Amino acid sequence: MLLSFNRMGGLRWVLVAIVVLVMLFLILPVMFIVALSFGSSQWLAFPPPGWTLRWYHEFFADPRWMAAIWTSTKIGILVMILSTTLGLFASFALVRGRFRGREILRAAFLTPMILPVVVFAVALYAFFLKIGLNGTLVGFVIAHTVLALPFAIIPISAALSGFDKSVEDAAILCGANPWEARLRVTFPAIRHGLFAAMVFSFLVSWDEVVIAIFMASPTLQTMPVRIWSSLRQDLSPVIAAASSLLILLTLALMLLAVLFRKKADR
Amino acid sequence: MTAANRPRLRRTGIGLALPAMLLLAIFFVVPVVSLLLRSVTEPDVGLQNYETLLATPTYAKIFWNTFMVASVVTTVTILLGYPVAWLLSILPARWAAIGFGIILLSMWTNLLARTYAWMVLLQSTGVINRSLQALGIIDEPLSLINNLTGVTIGMVYIMLPFFILPLQSTLRTIDPATLQAASLCGAGRWQAFWRVLLPLSVPGILSGGLIVFVMSLGYFVTPALLGGTSNMMLAELISQLVQSLLDWGLGGAAAFVLLVLTLALYAVQVHLFGTPGREA
Repeated sequence: MLLSFNRMGGLRWVLVAIVVLVMLFLILPVMFIVALSFGSSQWLAFPPPGWTLRWYHEFFADPRWMAAIWTSTKIGILVMILSTTLGLFASFALVRGRFRGREILRAAFLTPMILPVVVFAVALYAFFLKIGLNGTLVGFVIAHTVLALPFAIIPISAALSGFDKSVEDAAILCGANPWEARLRVTFPAIRHGLFAAMVFSFLVSWDEVVIAIFMASPTLQTMPVRIWSSLRQDLSPVIAAASSLLILLTLALMLLAVLFRKKADR
Repeated sequence: MTAANRPRLRRTGIGLALPAMLLLAIFFVVPVVSLLLRSVTEPDVGLQNYETLLATPTYAKIFWNTFMVASVVTTVTILLGYPVAWLLSILPARWAAIGFGIILLSMWTNLLARTYAWMVLLQSTGVINRSLQALGIIDEPLSLINNLTGVTIGMVYIMLPFFILPLQSTLRTIDPATLQAASLCGAGRWQAFWRVLLPLSVPGILSGGLIVFVMSLGYFVTPALLGGTSNMMLAELISQLVQSLLDWGLGGAAAFVLLVLTLALYAVQVHLFGTPGREA
C-alpha cells in the first residue's frame, strides 16, 4: 500500500506536498534567470520594474561573447565526433571482445568520469605547459574528449549489448563484408545509443568549466570561461541573457532527444 | 567454397579499443601520474609535502571543512531526494514524466547558469532577503552567501538529480506485494515504512548517497563561487596552490589525497553495488 499511490490514504498528500516543494526548488531558479534576462533593472531587482531586450542586444553586440560561443561550438562538435567514434570502437571491443582484463578495461574507461575533475585539470595543465598545448583548440578538444569518452561508451555499449549479433552475422553470411554489415545493419539498430553518445559528448564539452578555466588564454575562451570571468567581476544581467540562451539550447536538445526516441519507438 | 572467399565471422579482439586506450594513456594516465610524482620529488625527494599538508592547521581545517560540507550536502540531499524518488516510482506515468522533465532540465542546465541564479537569489539584496524583510520576518538581511549555507543550497541543488534518478529505479524493483503482505500481517503504515520499505531501499540510498558524497568531496565551481574564504574546500586549495603559489609539489600532494579518497570510496561502491553505469 505504500507503493500504490491510490491506496496510501492521507500520507500521499504529505508526500505530494514535499515533492512539489522540491520540484519548485529545482525549477524556480531556472525560470528566475530567464525572467531576469528580460528585466530592465541593472541591479537585478525582482520582480523587474520593466521589461527590455537590452541585455540580449549587449550580449550579441559584444565580440568577446560571440567569439566564446563560436569557440565552444567548434570544440563541442569536434569532441562530439571524436568521442562518439572512439567510443563506438571501444564499445565493440568491450561488448563483443573475448580477452582477459575486459572488465578492468571497462573500469579504466570510466575513470575520467569518477576522478575529481580538478585533479585531472591540474595534471593536464602541467602536462600541456610542457608540450605547449595550453590555450589551443587542439588542447581543449583532447581534454574534453577524455572527459566525454565515458559518456559515449555507456550508452553505445548498452545499445550494443541489447543488439542480437546473429543479425549482423546473417548479413555477413549473405555476402556483406564485416564493416559493410556493421554500417548497414548494426549501426542503424543501435542509433539511439549513438545519438545519446553524441548529445552527451557535446554537452560535456559545452558545459565544461574547470579544465577550461585552467587552459583558457585571453584569445581562446569558451562560453563557460567567459561566464566564469564575468561572474568574478559582477553579476551583470548580460550573464542572465547568456544563461537563458544556454537554457534554451538545453531545452532544444531535450526536445530533440524526445522526438528522436518517439521516432525510434515507432 | 575455398578458404579465401568464405565469409569471415571473426571474433572481436581488444584491437578496436586501442585508439581510445592510447588517448587515455597519453592524456590521462601520464599527466596524472607525473603530477603525483611531483608531489614526492619537488622541491626535494621525500614525503615532506604530505607532512606539511597534515601538520599545517590551515590545511587541516580545509580537509575538515571538505568532509563537513560533503556530509551536510549528502544528508540534505538524501532527506529531500528520498520522498521525490519514492513518489516518482509509484506515480502514474503521465505525472511522473513531468517530474522527470523538471529534474532533467535542471540537471542539463549549464552549471554556471544555475550557480549564477543562486548567487543572485541569495545575495543580501536578493529576492529571498527582500521578501523575508518585506514580510517582516527579519529586520537585517541574512547572510546566505559566501558561507556554509550558500554552499549547501547550491550543492544540494546540483546533487539532487544524481540521487533521485538511480534511487527511483531501485525503488521500482521493490514488489508492492511485499508491502501488502506487511499490511495483511497487521503492520500499520508507520511500521510498514520503517520495517519493510525503508530497509528495502537502503541499498539504493547508500549507493546514491555515496555518489553524492564522492562528487561533493572534489567539487570546485560551486564552493568557489558560493562559499567564503573561511570555508575553502580541497579542490579550490589544489587550484590555488598550483595557480597562485606555483607550488606543484604541495598541490600534487593535495591532489593525490583527493584522488585516493575518491578511488577508495568508489571501490567501496563497486564492491557493494557493482559498477555504476553498467546497466544505464
